[in-house]
Amino acid sequence: MTPGQIFLWVLAVVALGFCLRRGPGTVHKAGIETGRNLIKILPMFAVALPMAAFLAELIPADAAVAWIGPDSGFAGVLLGSVAGGLMPGGPFVTFPLVLAFAKAGAGVPQMVALVSGWCVFAVHRIITWEYPVLGWRFVALRLVSSMLLPVAAGLIAELVVEVVPIALVSR
Amino acid sequence: MTSFLRRHASLLVIGAIASLGAAALWQRDGGPAVGRALYHAWELFLFIAPSLLAGMLLAAALRQLMSPGALARWMGAESGWFGLAVATLAGMLTPGGPMAAFPLVLVLAGAGADRGALVAYITSWTLNGFQRVLVYEAPLLGPGFAILRVVITLPMPLLAGWIARRLPIAWEPPK
Repeated sequence: MTPGQIFLWVLAVVALGFCLRRGPGTVHKAGIETGRNLIKILPMFAVALPMAAFLAELIPADAAVAWIGPDSGFAGVLLGSVAGGLMPGGPFVTFPLVLAFAKAGAGVPQMVALVSGWCVFAVHRIITWEYPVLGWRFVALRLVSSMLLPVAAGLIAELVVEVVPIALVSR
Repeated sequence: MTSFLRRHASLLVIGAIASLGAAALWQRDGGPAVGRALYHAWELFLFIAPSLLAGMLLAAALRQLMSPGALARWMGAESGWFGLAVATLAGMLTPGGPMAAFPLVLVLAGAGADRGALVAYITSWTLNGFQRVLVYEAPLLGPGFAILRVVITLPMPLLAGWIARRLPIAWEPPK
């Protein structure tokens, strides 16, 4: 297990400990909820992970270099932000896909813009959740307020990686 | 039938893309390449499974412990930067996906949070929600990358909330 995973398990055990102090019923409820969520998410994994793996094989090894490579600068950051917003699905779909981009030669600032763009814009999430639950006015309010953030994040990352070199993991 | 399609729309779309991808790969590189890709997918699943389970347990436990309404009294229209900071922190700690987070916006709004705090809250949840960062981003893209992105985007929800308070877009929670 990686240190991050151990940290997560420690947090989970501590939180369950607090639940236990409220009574065994609370732990039971948390357990049932976990099981229900797992059943909901496993079918998604069963199709999303193979999809990402197939696409990773199909994308040529240097496909991302020209568009969002380390030398693509501001244009790459802008493109990454927009492309991120168009990526479909939750983290179990997006991160394996992003991993494929990383292996295909994307630069770190462009990846920061891509991931942040997916977080902020997530067109698919707006259509399926945000609009039905909160309405168009909230969507407009939020989008206008945070429009520039992914691009800004990418540009700041560009400055940071000049000072602190950061490598992307490619398994 | 239509309700089945609606409920499983994303599953079906992703399944369709996966099938097309498999067919294209089969045609280009043959059957064994498809098998190798499936094996990679399985390895990725085994790699992510421990964090996934821990993240879900933590999320479920937190949901039993937290009462979002109590936080909202610090997030009113007069709460200034402090309110935005509370909203940002609450967003980072909110577990789960959109099916949990967006309804929470309604709860917070009902308990007195203003539109700036709500925008800061949802922006913080989506950019830096702990579950997404710890379960997916750090293991898959590397801790260095995750820390870089989180540190850079940490103050951004405050900024978004500050802008939202100044925008002439009024929002009322839908009844």
